[in-house]
Amino acid sequence: MRSFGTAAAMAAAGAIRFALRFLGKGATTLPGKVAIRIAPDFLNEMSRGKNIIMVTGTNGKTTTTHMISEILKKAGYSVGTNVSGANLASGLATVFAEHAPAERAAGRKGIPTAYVLETDEAAFAVTAGRINPKVCVVTNLFRDQLDRFGELLYTRSCIEKGLDATDSKVLLNADDSMIAALRNGRENRVAFFGADEAHMMSNNVTKAAEPATLPSSSDAEYCLKCKVKFEYSARSFGHFGMYRCPSCGDHRQTPDFSAYTEGSTFETGAPLILTGEGARASSSLSIPGAHNVYNAAAAIGACVLFGKEAGDETLTLPFCAEVLSLVRPAFGRMEKIMVGEKSFCILLVKNPVGLDRALTHISEATDVGGVYLLLNSNIADGTDVSWIWDVDFESRKFPDQTYVSGERYAEMLLRLVYSKAVPDTVKSAEMKRSEALFEEALAACPDGKCLYVLPNYTAMLSLRKYLVGRFRLKNYWK
Amino acid sequence: MEQTIRICHMYPDLLNLYGDRGNILALAYRAGLRGIKARVTALSIGEVFEPEQYDIVFFGGGQDAEQNIIRADLVQIKGDAVKTAVNNGNVFLCICGGYQMMGEYYEEFDGTRIDCLHAINIYTIAQKKRLIGNTVYESDLLRAGAAHNCVEPRKLFGFENHSGRTFLGEGVRPLAKVLCGAGNNGEDGTEGAVYRNVYCTYSHGSFLPKNPAMADHLLEKALKQRIGEDFCLEPAECEVENIARTSASTCKRG
Ligand SMILES: [Zn+2]
Repeated sequence: MRSFGTAAAMAAAGAIRFALRFLGKGATTLPGKVAIRIAPDFLNEMSRGKNIIMVTGTNGKTTTTHMISEILKKAGYSVGTNVSGANLASGLATVFAEHAPAERAAGRKGIPTAYVLETDEAAFAVTAGRINPKVCVVTNLFRDQLDRFGELLYTRSCIEKGLDATDSKVLLNADDSMIAALRNGRENRVAFFGADEAHMMSNNVTKAAEPATLPSSSDAEYCLKCKVKFEYSARSFGHFGMYRCPSCGDHRQTPDFSAYTEGSTFETGAPLILTGEGARASSSLSIPGAHNVYNAAAAIGACVLFGKEAGDETLTLPFCAEVLSLVRPAFGRMEKIMVGEKSFCILLVKNPVGLDRALTHISEATDVGGVYLLLNSNIADGTDVSWIWDVDFESRKFPDQTYVSGERYAEMLLRLVYSKAVPDTVKSAEMKRSEALFEEALAACPDGKCLYVLPNYTAMLSLRKYLVGRFRLKNYWK
Repeated sequence: MEQTIRICHMYPDLLNLYGDRGNILALAYRAGLRGIKARVTALSIGEVFEPEQYDIVFFGGGQDAEQNIIRADLVQIKGDAVKTAVNNGNVFLCICGGYQMMGEYYEEFDGTRIDCLHAINIYTIAQKKRLIGNTVYESDLLRAGAAHNCVEPRKLFGFENHSGRTFLGEGVRPLAKVLCGAGNNGEDGTEGAVYRNVYCTYSHGSFLPKNPAMADHLLEKALKQRIGEDFCLEPAECEVENIARTSASTCKRG
């Protein structure tokens, strides 16, 4: 008689064979969906005893997952990881099904396999316990798709539920008060990543707003326990920084892994200094933006912690730092594509903090030859687009060549016009003309400059489809 | 002489959800079209509210945790002044959580009643199912008036996201009737509330940007209050607003 576990494993194997038949171009969730239907314990069976890192949080999941994967590949692992967006249970199951043949082949050669799984916050609540990874990384908590999640604290409770179903090591963002609070009750398995305190932007809390303009909305300004406003001695961006509650004394924890740039965070290749475990290593910022400094700190922290759990001595801080400087951006995360003498660059903007970071970037960058914003409101984007009013457009700089499209282009146009930060030359078009408008924007972009394209999620997917065909970029982006 | 409209933004650091600051930006923008400057003052926990300092008071919506933070401050420190302001005819715009807090009480899922401001005669009962989606309402209070060439000026376009069901008591009129969406409670076809110069709605974020006749109505009411009943807001175009209104008119519910 077969034990129940074996029976489940057999079912899982059958599920893989069946799922593989569905694997093909662009099948990022269907095989997993099928596998889970055949074997409800599929994730438990497929993950047992394996090297797994899970990454969750509202922003930076894709980039952090991508950085970790690249480091592990260089360290000699066969890596299974999910493509952006397929981060629900079905997407995770698809990774296991898809990578199973490669894992067996690697095993025959004595090559270890690791899985790096970007996981949606709500899906994390149910999948983390099934997978029980070696390390869980929680990047941050910003308002995102509130029409789906309702409230930030609900999102955090999902993450909390997931963590409690595992005995994994947990890597938390020290600078995000709401994430750092997840340490309570889990102290013995928690480590922190964060920005280097001495290199945060100086305290900008007291900066007076211009009359008739408003500071952008920020999350988590108050200690939820004491209902008292945090005092900040320094900030990075949003609610990230050196917070302290004047009432209960809760304060920012010193990160075990930290990062800072020497020079501008807007420059590709700016020197990046990483510290952790008493060591210090130089790297370079291969994906610009202050938020990517955090993603870098999270990625090296995750790899070093994983190395300790897996008994892998290769994964030292200097090794991780070296690989990190070679990482290229994931799709929609800042990669510049050259077209003759000019280029374009796509920055996915799916929530207020993402859009805020992108606008900061284009206000500071010296090579802006156009800005193209696209706003959709499908289920995957969140059907509520009012979040665009939470972002500070008023104090930004926009070039004469500014363009707007997407299904909700009218709302974005209204936002831009109300900000008075865009010139009267702003051009707009409905979604079905979005590709023509891209061509117009690219043609108007001067040589030597870059057209910055800022779509939200489904707008990015449809644009990617067009660009892959237009520039023959087949299989270029994963 | 340059005119100024004085706007009080209540608890912007806590009641700042779903783009509610867009409503302040809209008031400032529409005032600016008439050469009227907007001065926005943020008031938060522990700060005293002096009604005579402001023409328009804005209350946005927040998350439950944040609304719990402000409730004590609002009831104990600012409560009397808010009630005085309401009775003196100050213009208020209250959205979602701000709307609920102006009322008598808020009853939670478990039946616990949270005492609110008692500034207007409405009450709210929470239910598990949230009412979420695009909305279209019609208000007979509105006319194109100063919002020149506004497309279908009586129509209000918005987005709602609330679990509370609000019911109006005696003396309080609805702001509009529901054409698409749930409105106050999903039952009686009403949306929002009007009492004296207090305007309440469940529409978030881009409520005033998409509804320039409403924005102008509030500006005119507020300036009449200060300058005199004869004051009339100069007409201003609604070109960009109309593009957003036309594309919102189908009201797709997700
Ligand atoms: Zn505290």
